[in-house]
Amino acid sequence: MRLSDQDKALLDGVKGDVDRQAMEALVQLGEAFDAEDMVDIGYAHVHAGMAMYLGDVELMEELAERGARMAVPASTNIANADMENWQATRAPESLVRLQKRAETAHNTMGTGGCFTCTPYWAGHWPTWNTHMASIESGVTVFCNSVLGARSNRDGFFAVYAGMTGRYPRFGLHLDENRKPTHRVVVEAAPSGTADFTVLGYAIGSQTTNAIPLITGLERRPNLDELDALGVGMATSGGVAMFILPGVTPPYGDGDAGLGADLPSLPIQERDLRAVYEDFCSGEHSRFDIVHLGCPHASFEEMKHYAQLLDGKMVKPGVELWITTNRTVRQMARDSGLLRPIEASGAKVISDTCPISCHFARTASPDPALGVEPPTLRAIVVDSAKQARYIRDMIHCPTLLTTTEKAVETAVSGTFVPRW
Amino acid sequence: MSDKTTFEGRGIVKGNVTGPALVSRTPFSFLGDVDIRTGDVIGELSDLRGRNIAGRVLVVPATRGSAGAWRFLYQLKQHGTHPVAVITGELPDPSVVQGAILSGVPIISGLADRIGNTVTDATLLCVDGDSGVVTVIEAQ
Repeated sequence: MRLSDQDKALLDGVKGDVDRQAMEALVQLGEAFDAEDMVDIGYAHVHAGMAMYLGDVELMEELAERGARMAVPASTNIANADMENWQATRAPESLVRLQKRAETAHNTMGTGGCFTCTPYWAGHWPTWNTHMASIESGVTVFCNSVLGARSNRDGFFAVYAGMTGRYPRFGLHLDENRKPTHRVVVEAAPSGTADFTVLGYAIGSQTTNAIPLITGLERRPNLDELDALGVGMATSGGVAMFILPGVTPPYGDGDAGLGADLPSLPIQERDLRAVYEDFCSGEHSRFDIVHLGCPHASFEEMKHYAQLLDGKMVKPGVELWITTNRTVRQMARDSGLLRPIEASGAKVISDTCPISCHFARTASPDPALGVEPPTLRAIVVDSAKQARYIRDMIHCPTLLTTTEKAVETAVSGTFVPRW
Repeated sequence: MSDKTTFEGRGIVKGNVTGPALVSRTPFSFLGDVDIRTGDVIGELSDLRGRNIAGRVLVVPATRGSAGAWRFLYQLKQHGTHPVAVITGELPDPSVVQGAILSGVPIISGLADRIGNTVTDATLLCVDGDSGVVTVIEAQ
């Protein structure tokens, strides 16, 4: 691998032991994937340090104590507890105290502590051709497909990329890997974020690790729908990038005819129905929580929830959770949007979500924390991503419907299906 | 089998360890296929279901994708339930490689078929992630 003088200096320990460790790890990653050299990155979305996982917060604390600092703009991924409003989720205080230690470590390292799967709604908005690293697959697909930035689906090493400002040039950092592999023909009329997570999920289920070119949509999806489309296919198919002509830089409207020779994948309404049905495993009158905000809600979605809930009351015995990032929560508070939402009895939760909080049964927290996942009958959701991981990580039935019908469900106490 | 049988693959993650093999014919997911507390394989799609990967040289044709794989591999390490090395056929995805580097678990790729057809479970293997060479120490 060809290394710059600065890369070599880091390997020589000029900036200290912790930066040497980071650069050594990035070089090993690059060699594994035949990278020719390293690129300068402009942004990193990094691991939060998760209190539900043994020794995981300590990983970030150790980096901070050894002098790690972010060399480029960086943001933190989702955490395991709402560090402000944790009582609303009945998280054990011991877990929150541990989670806040990770926040302190990130403050030391200079990471923008937004603790979210949607850092773009908190202002982290990398632009066309910005090389970046991301620990969150939903961030990867949004930044590649909507913003035109260049990101692989990373793990822990996003933090090493943030510390050094460097990343090995392989995968989606190379032009030749950013071309469509399949042509999707949408023969349905999805509308709203729930439908778009489902459309993405249906596409990803049939095209693992592909770069689908999307055609046939009746209109340009809004930003929330584009976000939803990407996370759906990232969840089911490991998709890191889609190409929607007219949206994905640099593909213009005139590129809709591209890929005529590629494998064609029609998606019909029955494919969307099948995903909804697959994630309706719970009984319609037996659920404990209705959840909105996967991925973490944008300000526009908060406005939509406020309108839907204005003057309504959540049925006693039902909890309505709205998850967003702390920046959007503050904007919603300042704009008066939290008033109708909270007056309805709904809870606005940041930094975490059902699958990321103390509900997860696949985590193995330090027994001293006293974490006991509650027994839940079912969770109503408006996102195929949340549904999939509730099944796999909380081991609880789900009921998947649209945002509007999920709110109706929370108010009436009876599940309102999509169809 | 000679005690000097060697296989040469592609060293992906550095490190040198010796341990008993555990051979699978199905793709493996570190997120979902294994209970991090015990190392027991619980995934319904894995032919290792009911077996335990702790301390073994895990031989799998491929790793199945999830961006969270690194975290679960690191959790196995934290619990002492991790495989001591991983031998794959296909190149594992970046998240698995990152978790293995973080956890000090050597990986060699391009070998699972050849090794899987030769060694059996509990054959003692020496894995050198630096050179990509696997040496059969003791056939069982």
